[in-house]
Amino acid sequence: MGLDKIDTILESPAHEFDVVVRIAREEDIAVARQMAKQLAQETGFSLADVTKIATAVSELARNIYRYANQGRIMIRKKLEEKDGPCIEVIAADRGPGIPDVDLVLTRGYTTYERSLGIGLSGVKRLMDSFAIYSEVGKGTVVITEKRRRKF
Amino acid sequence: MSSNLERVVPILQIADFLLVPIQIDLDDRTVGRLQQQLMREIERTRAKAVILDVRMVEVIDSYISYTLSETAAMARLMGCRTILCGIQPPVALTLAQMGVVLEELTVARDLEHALVLASSL
Repeated sequence: MGLDKIDTILESPAHEFDVVVRIAREEDIAVARQMAKQLAQETGFSLADVTKIATAVSELARNIYRYANQGRIMIRKKLEEKDGPCIEVIAADRGPGIPDVDLVLTRGYTTYERSLGIGLSGVKRLMDSFAIYSEVGKGTVVITEKRRRKF
Repeated sequence: MSSNLERVVPILQIADFLLVPIQIDLDDRTVGRLQQQLMREIERTRAKAVILDVRMVEVIDSYISYTLSETAAMARLMGCRTILCGIQPPVALTLAQMGVVLEELTVARDLEHALVLASSL
């Protein structure tokens, strides 16, 4: 299920996004976080939501670096949505894939020794929408959005 | 200077505790180097408490949280307590929403409260 989605996302052209960060080194995690923060600020998100978006991007970028070695974080503003402006964050990699997606969304589950095991479940809690597509041997795509709240 | 003896942050010694203002972006490597620097300073000064002031830190994610708790656990094994202060409201909100529990760390309201706690140990 959703396998076409993985290919489509992995092949999506960079110009369709406001920010594309290639994750290949540890330092790229902080770069992705910084770029996400800047874009969320520009889009008029509250400081609380800017922090949540930056933290979610940090978790997603780290997962790419740890488990897939490399991949991409792609972020875009979506200003014409009927529910109001939002930011879409996509994390995509051609890594090993996840055999059991429900398991990795379980709080406290981790295959990495120095970890709280709350990365992906944390992202789901911090963002408004969350979808994950993964196939073993093919890769993983996480698509998530945060709407700008009205004040 | 060899890379494992780097100074990542300034560490101020006040009486028998250490004050560590963290005013840099905590990426994964930096937080690891910070841990090493703290262990060296705790051993060298025989401090009874370390105060980590994170007022200037804008993002604390799950790995940074993990490393800070791990650092506090290591410090405790060396007879030193770790007090965290200055968590900004958006960071507190994010950590609470993610369900992060900062184990091993004593959390103070602000630097003044942290100093009181450190002095009363």
